[in-house]
Formats: sequence, structure tokens, C-alpha cells
Amino acid sequence: MKVAYWPGCVSRGFTPELHGSMEKVAPLLDIELIELDRASCCGAGVISEHSQELADTLNARTFALAEQTGEALMMNICSTCQGSMTECQERLDANGEYRMAINDNLREEGLTYDRAVTNKNLAWVLVEEIGLDELRSRVKRPLSGLKVGPFYGCYIVRPRERLGIDEERPRHTYLHQIIEALGGTVIDYAGVYKCCGFPIITMNKEASLKQAGRHLGDALDADADCLVTPCPLCHLNLDLQQPLAEKVVGRELNLPVLHLPQLLGLALGLEPKDLGLQRHVVKPTSVIDWTQAVVAGAPAEAA
Amino acid sequence: MAAFTLKIRRFLPESGDAPFWQEFDVDLDGHRSVLEGILSAKAREDGSIGIRCSCRAAICGSCGVRINGRPRLACNTHLDEAVKDSPDGGKIVVEPMGNMPVIKDLIVDMDAVHWKKVRRVTPWLLPEGPPPEREYIVSHEAMVDVTQTMACIQCGACVSDCLSMEVDPLFIGPAALAKAYRFVGDPRDGGHYERLKDLAEDPAGIYDCTHCFNCIDACPKGVAPMSQIMRLRRIAGRDHEIEDRNNGYRHEHAFVDNIERNGLLHEADLLPDSYGGKMHPRAVPELIESLPVVAKGLARGKITPRKALTHPHRKDFKDVRKLVKRVESKDEPLELNLYIVGYDEVEEGSAR
Amino acid sequence: MPSHDVLIIGAGLAGQRAALAAAEAGATVAVMSKVHPVRSHSNAAAGGINAALNPEDSWESHAYDTVKGSDFLGDQDAIEIMCREAPEEILWLEHRGVTFHRDETGHLGTRAFGGASAARTYYVADITGQALLHVLYEQLMRFHAQIDRYEEWFVTSLVQGGDGECTGAVARNIRDGSMETFTAKGTILASGGAGQAFQPTTNALICTGDGIAQAYRAGARLMDMEMIQYHPTTLLENGFLITEGARGEGAQLFNKDGERFMERYAPNKMELASRDVVSRAGQTEINEGRGVGPDGQGIHLDVTLVPKKRILEALREIVNIGRDFAGVDITKEPITIRPGQHYIMGGVKTDVHGLTDVPGLYAAGEVACVSVHGGNRLGANSLLDTLIFGRRAGEHAAGRADGMPAPAEPPASRVRDEEGWIASLLQRGPESGRRVSEIKAELGTAMNQYCAVFRDEDGLAQCLEIVRRLQEEAKSAYVDDRGAIFNQDVLGAIELGYMLDCAEATVVSALERKESRGAQFRTDFPERNDDEWLKHITVTATPEGPELDYAPVTITQWQPEERKY
Repeated sequence: MKVAYWPGCVSRGFTPELHGSMEKVAPLLDIELIELDRASCCGAGVISEHSQELADTLNARTFALAEQTGEALMMNICSTCQGSMTECQERLDANGEYRMAINDNLREEGLTYDRAVTNKNLAWVLVEEIGLDELRSRVKRPLSGLKVGPFYGCYIVRPRERLGIDEERPRHTYLHQIIEALGGTVIDYAGVYKCCGFPIITMNKEASLKQAGRHLGDALDADADCLVTPCPLCHLNLDLQQPLAEKVVGRELNLPVLHLPQLLGLALGLEPKDLGLQRHVVKPTSVIDWTQAVVAGAPAEAA
Repeated sequence: MAAFTLKIRRFLPESGDAPFWQEFDVDLDGHRSVLEGILSAKAREDGSIGIRCSCRAAICGSCGVRINGRPRLACNTHLDEAVKDSPDGGKIVVEPMGNMPVIKDLIVDMDAVHWKKVRRVTPWLLPEGPPPEREYIVSHEAMVDVTQTMACIQCGACVSDCLSMEVDPLFIGPAALAKAYRFVGDPRDGGHYERLKDLAEDPAGIYDCTHCFNCIDACPKGVAPMSQIMRLRRIAGRDHEIEDRNNGYRHEHAFVDNIERNGLLHEADLLPDSYGGKMHPRAVPELIESLPVVAKGLARGKITPRKALTHPHRKDFKDVRKLVKRVESKDEPLELNLYIVGYDEVEEGSAR
Repeated sequence: MPSHDVLIIGAGLAGQRAALAAAEAGATVAVMSKVHPVRSHSNAAAGGINAALNPEDSWESHAYDTVKGSDFLGDQDAIEIMCREAPEEILWLEHRGVTFHRDETGHLGTRAFGGASAARTYYVADITGQALLHVLYEQLMRFHAQIDRYEEWFVTSLVQGGDGECTGAVARNIRDGSMETFTAKGTILASGGAGQAFQPTTNALICTGDGIAQAYRAGARLMDMEMIQYHPTTLLENGFLITEGARGEGAQLFNKDGERFMERYAPNKMELASRDVVSRAGQTEINEGRGVGPDGQGIHLDVTLVPKKRILEALREIVNIGRDFAGVDITKEPITIRPGQHYIMGGVKTDVHGLTDVPGLYAAGEVACVSVHGGNRLGANSLLDTLIFGRRAGEHAAGRADGMPAPAEPPASRVRDEEGWIASLLQRGPESGRRVSEIKAELGTAMNQYCAVFRDEDGLAQCLEIVRRLQEEAKSAYVDDRGAIFNQDVLGAIELGYMLDCAEATVVSALERKESRGAQFRTDFPERNDDEWLKHITVTATPEGPELDYAPVTITQWQPEERKY
């Protein structure tokens, strides 16, 4: 399967292990990534707060670039990209007059958005395009005994209607389903659908980190070994900032947070190091004995 | 007719007992509302179940509750839909709203939270000078636009699940800020700047919203409070250039500048720029506080010194720079509100 | 014991408007309501508010339409006042921030409404009542220093001095169950109608005739109580209101044969004839087997004739109602409706200042009968009525209070008696009688069966018998909740008593009026009979039961004529 691939900014900036692990995992799932290397930042909801037209223009440009690849499916690996791009796409798709005006901005570059691309997060691609059965069949090292708390990120679960979450496509459960397909155990805790706090880290640091700290603590209390998130911005608050979050909530946390492709990679048989797990602030090895918990008696075939 | 089980979280303050769950079976058509289910249980089984309700038609805003964990109006949630959402084996779970103290059963103290916050935003029109002899002449669009926030029925559903308020009870919150937009968006109001300045400077104001979208999903009337908060930020930051002490303005501008410069976000610049630049007095303590984090990031190879200084991709994004300049140079950039214009006739299976 | 110049009971539009007017006139004001003010039923008035503000329109035209709509039972002096003062009131509201619809030039725009000879209905999408109510509440918050708000307080009775003058009320704080006496130089009832005596109804659960019954028990006359408005378009499913604004915007009515049947009943005004006419037409179609829906009990309202953009802009609320309560996308298909109980034209008889027969007691809004609506209220005149007469009552009460000594406090036993009565009510258990909710349901069904669009002697007599039996049963009815905090159950028992008083007055009046006029259609007396019945029927409470009498209709410049639409 070929997809126009939009890695986002943070996956190549502060969380390089995300993009890195995606590139490693893709071939194991027969996904050919056609990287949109000229596409720009989605705006992360901040640009639209400054100028809706600017955010819509930048994202229309990205969609237009995706359309140029000839692929109808565009894949992202960031909840925030998914959410803020879907918001723009909703407007662009809803109103022809508006779309024309935005396309007018792109004309100089010879680009035009034609409503011919669907943008899906990796999690959605896994469930809707590849299928969980297929995924399950490719697991080489089931995550047996690994207790994983899903952390979706706001942008990928709300607003439900805009994101197309309904009975037929219960996208707010995909992370749960993927964890199970990989052989792991889902840990439900209060923070599954809550906010990591990242958007207000520069405005109200305490409120921001209190959110991250609480969710980490709740997951720990529910006995999670780690969290997995499809959102690198959540990862920043949950992992990079975890030492500060500990101070704010006044308790030791030390809960590893994995990117979705990393969790996939582990189950598909890749080594923690190939997946950049050593790059996290909270070292996954500090609480998870990969040789025991993950391997669970079934040594990785790839290893 | 079908049987539905309502699992209601009850709290009887005079009993001295802790809250408890009680189940009621009701026989009603599936398209009847959860409120009708509760009222039926109240009428037939136990008249002491407390719930505020009046219009039954989603206009009075009385019956905000949590149904299956999500804030809803009991009156416009169908029983058959609620069953599908059940987290508890088909039982419809009804609880009081969150973020507000419970008075009894499903009744919360809205005065203590919701209305106090509404009063915080000077919730009345501040006309400029004496009124005209006849009506104010204002555009059709402006009135339709503020009617979106006028549609708020003050039910508190958005307040119930506001994630910022959960960690910062001082946060003015979605309902009150949507109410603030009702005046900032109203051309007849003469206090736009003062209102925005006030709400931008308040640490619990417009920049305390964490973008969680819960209020948008919670609102039964399409008010989209978070979108209104973002519009308040837009008007404060861009139209009035209010430089607040919460870094809201700086963050927004630093972000846009960052993208204009780099095409992709360069986080190493964004953080200090949001505090006013690397050498800004405000930035220094923040950076010092972040040092252990940065050090760890460096040690783990997350942040490399080369990346921290220059953006690796910068040169590839000349076109983006032009584009940002082009849109930013417009006097009145476009804004499309789908609440107002609706959708073009939908073609089945459109991409999304 | 709280004491004010003016005590206002009810905080919908009439009550809030009265409070603002009284405060503006310098009075100290308390406004009390059993629900938070913005939960009031004024919310439900969706379509708009009438005023001849447009230079091409005239208040006389508005007044004539209102007189004609009332089937000549409305008092023309009061109607003249209402229509004359309407434009000023619209501007007052606009200046305070109501987001009225604008035309393309930025001026106030109007929509067409039933029974009107000009498009004179000002509106905010289809949330006009809500918008007005919330803007008035903004003003109430603004003037918090002058206006004390008692939100979620329930009035159990009016207090009267030795000479019968009303000097306040006894009320229960719903939040903690405590009772208190409020004294005031003037008391304004603004607590709405009694639609809950009918099932189904478009009315909110709080519309239980409290104020009507309280005034009646205090000795005030009720008037026009037989005039119950059935709205032509209420949802078949559950009786929810579909605004007349839909027809104002161009929606049409069809029977099961796809016939636009209003052509036969009102060839000129069609769907925009007055409500009694359209309701009777719809009910006739249903009764004669031309209805739609599962049991042929409905009529199709086709809103798809209205352009979609206009629907989103002006009728969004009924899109929601269709979607949420009938599973119908009204932008794509017709919605099934039927006539349903909506409004009580009658109420506590007042003069044009809102004064009732009881000195010191005023009434305004649906609780009152001025009478500006007579036999049938025109759409978009109810909001106007609440505001005009709410303001006038507030102003008059403030003026009357000026220089007047505060009334004597009633003896402490007054509250104790009331507390004792409620305590005894709480003592009752299932052994004592029926559940309050059962009695209420039986009342609603009976009223809707016998006291609806079409009435006759037999049915009304049967209805009266039922109401009287229920009155007896109510005396021993029991409730489950024994608590003090938010005991809604016990309030329900008190409300039941209020509703039964209203229902009885309605049925005896309907039996008395042996003709058909406005909303009262007697199949046994199908013609209007001006010679005998061009007069109001009044009802006074006596120990022996309701006593009927008549009051003349005030006619200024419009003589009765045959009504054609």
C-alpha cells in the first residue's frame, strides 16, 4: 500500500524517534511512504487562532501536494496534525466558494486542492486500511503481559462529528484495538481521552503539567507499564516534561510513554534501539524488562 | 416499547450517606429521551430522584447531566442511543455534571461555578454613548454571527467536562468565554478592547484554554465555545495586538513567525520566543527551569546542538514563506463559519 | 424577613421586565422564581415579537389584526396600548443588546406571522424568546445592586393584610427547604400559564398555573379561562412546538392526499390564518380521516419549501427538534405535526396597569388576562404582552410604593401554618391515597380530550366531574421524598393543587360559554353569538366552588364583524 506520508514537524524535531520508528515499521506492514517533504507545519491549532485563512491555506497546500503524488490516501502520525488538518479540510470541503478563494492563494505555486485526498492517522490506517487481522498476523513478538495505557490526544478524538467518529468507525477505540491486536493488555484509566496540557505549556505551565502529571499518575495507579500515544505533542508533555510534571503533582511517576510506531515495531519484532526507545526521557527499560515482559518467552524472530 | 435500565448516581445530602448507584427499569419507546426515562422512574417508583428539568425540548438548559460519562442534556438524548454508548453492559449510566458541587442526585450547584464565571465577563452590553433614536445599524452577518453564542442555553454541559477547569478551577471556562464573545462580536458593544485586554491578561482567561474540544462536543446547541475562545484570541492578538502577560500573544506570533521562517516548526526557537526571545527577562527563568529537561534531551540525543541552532529544512520552504507573507498582508483575511453558512449539498462519500 | 417595595413572582420576560422597570423607577425590587430565570418558559416563544415599527405599518393595523384575531373578545383599550407601545419596546430591547435579525441594509428585519396584515414580527432566528430572556437576565445581573434575585424559591401562598390587600408572599427556598415571608408594598405575579394541566402540551413542566391559582385563592377574579389556544403545529410524537415562524418563512401544510388543505379553510391567508382557524382546519382533516402518520393523527408540515440557507439562519431550532425528537431532517422531508395545547388566553383579570381585583396585587404575562388576546392570541403577540404589561406593572407598582409605608409583617404563625401544612403533606404514604404523578396524568388526559379544539356539553360535563374527583383525591395524594433539600416531589403536590384550580375554572367557563368564538369551538353551538356572548366570563373562588360572572368587552373603534382569513 502506498500512502502520501505526512510526518509532521515534531516527529522530525524534538521526537525524531517517531519519524524514525515509522520509517522502520512501514516496510513490515507493506506501507510505502511517499514523504511530503515540501509540506509545511499544519499550524497545530495555533495558526488558525491567528488567521484561519493562513491555516487553511497552508493545509490546502499540503493536501494539494498529497494529491500530486497520485495517492488518494494521506497518512499522518500525529493526532494534532490529524485534528487541525481535518478542521481545515472540513471548511475547504464544505464550501466551494471558500475553497476557490484558498486555492487562489496557492495558484502562484501551481498547486490546487481538489478534495481528492483522505487524511488518516496511522491508527486509522491500521484499522481501516490494513485491518486488525492482518496486523495480528504480522506480529512476531506479541506484547504478552505488557499493560499499555492508551493516550489518544484531544485532536484525534474530538469533535467526534468532524473526525468522523461513529458506530461504523469507532475511531476513539482504535488504539485500544491495536494494543490488543499486538497482544498487549489495555489499561483503562481516567486520562485516556484527556488533554496532555501541552497547548498551554507556555501560558499556564502549572495547569499544563498538572494535566500530564495526573494522567500519568492515574495510569500508574491503574497498573500500567507504559502509555502509548499517536501524538508527539502529547509525548512532549508526557515524556520530555515528565520530570517537571512530577514536581507539579508531587509524586514520582517514571512511566514510559511510547509512540504508536514504537509499540508496533516492538510487536513486529524490531529491537528497542532501532525504534529509538533509548531516546526517551523516561527510559522504557527502567520499568519494562523487554526480554521478559515483551518477549514473553517468544524471542523476536527478527532478532 | 422496550425495557431500559437507568443506573443513576444518587446523593441524598440529608442522609449522611455517600453517593450510591441505584437502578431503575423503565418501559418506554427507544426514541424517548433519557429525561423521560428518569421522569417515568420518578413518577412511578421514586419521586425523590432529583433532577432539574423544565422544557423537555433542549431550550431551557435545566437538565444537563452526564450520560455514560459524557455531558448531555437528558432531554435530547434518546434511550436507544444511550444504550449503545453504555459502558456498563447496556445500562444507561446517569451522573451529575462535573466541575460543580453536587447538591442532590443529579442537581449541581451552578451558582457556585457556572454563574459566578458568567458574571466575571461583564455579561451585558456596554453601549458606546447614548443609543440612537431608532435601532443601531449593524450588518446582517454580524447579528447572525453573534446569534451562535446567543444560542447558548447556559446548561453547563461544557463547564462539566472542561479539562482546563479540572486542573485550574479558576479558569473562566467555555460558557462564560462564549458569552464574552457574544459582546466582543457585537458591533454595538463599545468595550471590545477593555473586555479583551481583561480576558487576555487574566491568567485564567482566554489563554488558559487547553484546546481539548470537550466543550465543542458537549454543547447541545452548536455554540462551539472553544471556537469562540479562539476567535477571542484572534481578535485580541491580531486586531487589537494586546500583548498579554501570559505569553498568549507572543506564543501565537512566535509560532507564525517560526513557520514563516522555517516552514516546519522549529521547537528550539519557539519556546524562548514565546517568552519574548532567548534573552528576554521572562525567558531566562523559564529556560533555567527547563535546563534539566534540555540536558536530558541532549543526553538522549533527542535534541542535538546543530538542530537547536539552525533548522535543517529551512532552505526548502521558500514557497511557504511567500505564501505566509501573501496571506498575512491581507487587511481582512477570510473566515468561514460553518455554523452560519452550512455545508454545500454533500456528495455522498466525499473524502474525509 | 425580606422587605421590598416590589416583589415579583416569576422571572420570565414579564417578571424580569417588571423588575427592571420598577428598579428604574427607583423602587427596591425582589424577583423570585421557582427556577433560575433563564429556565423560564419564555424561552419557548420561538418565532418573534410583533410591533408596527416599520413606517409603512401602523399600530392601528396591528391593533385591528389583534382584535380580529381575538374574535372580538379582546379589550380594545388594552390592545391599543399594547400595539401603540410596541415599537418603543422593540427599540428598548434592541438598545440593550437583543441580536435582532437585520435586513441587508443593517436595519431591523421582519418575518410574516399568522393573522397579521403586514410582516411585523421582529425576531432572532427561531430563538427569539430565549434571546430576549437571556438579554433581560444580562440586565438583571447588571442591576444587581437594585434588584435582589431569589432564584429557586417556590411561592406557596400570597400574604394578605386585614383589609385583603396583598402584602407579600410566603415562599420555600428549594435548595434547603426553609420557608420565609417576603413583604412588599406591591406584588406582581408573573409566573406564567398552566399548560401542564393538559397532556400533551408545548408548555414546560414548570407551567403549572401557580400564579393564577394563588391570585384566585386570594380572591381575584379569573377571566377568559375557557380560551385555551391549541397551536396548529406541535410535534405528533410528544407535543413539542414547531414555531409558526416555519409557516411565516413559507412552510405549508398538507393532508394525506398531498392536498394543501388550508386552501379550503382560509383561501387568502392560507397557513397564516389565525391559530384557532388553522388548528381547527388541521383537526378537521384528522377527524375526517385525511390525517397522516401511523393512526392518521397527524398533518404534514413541509419546511423543505424554505431555502436551506434560510432554514439554517432562521429556523435552526426546529431543525434540531426535528432531528432530536422526531428523527426527521426537516430540510429534506416533511415533519408530522398536529394541533396541541399551547397557551392560555385567560388568567387573572387585570386593568391596563396590571392591577388585579386584590389591592397591591398585580399580574402580567400569561398569568394575567388584560385582556389583549380575547378568544385567540396572535402569534408573536405573547412576547409583546409580557414585556408591555410587565413593564407597566413594574412602573405602576413602583409609583404606588413611593411614599407608602412598608406593610405590617404578618404574624410568625403565618409561616408556621404553611410549614405545618407541608409537613403534614410529607407525612402521607401510599396508604393515604394516589400518587401525585398519577393524578396529574389523569387530569392532563381528560383536559386534552374534552377541553381541546372541539368541545361539547357532554364532554365538558364529564371533564368537570373528573376534575372535581381529582381535586378530592389530591387532598390525600402522597409523595415519596421526605427531605428538605430540593424536594421537588412536595412542590409537585402543591403544583397539582394549582393546576386543578385552573382546570376547574377553565371547564366551568367553557361549559358556560354556549357559542363558538376564537379558541372555544362548541360543536353543540357552532356559531359565534355576539348578541348573547360578546362578553367575558369571570370566575371567582368561593367556599362553595367557582362562581361565574360576566364582564363587558371594551370596544373602542372596531365593531365585531365576520372573521375571514
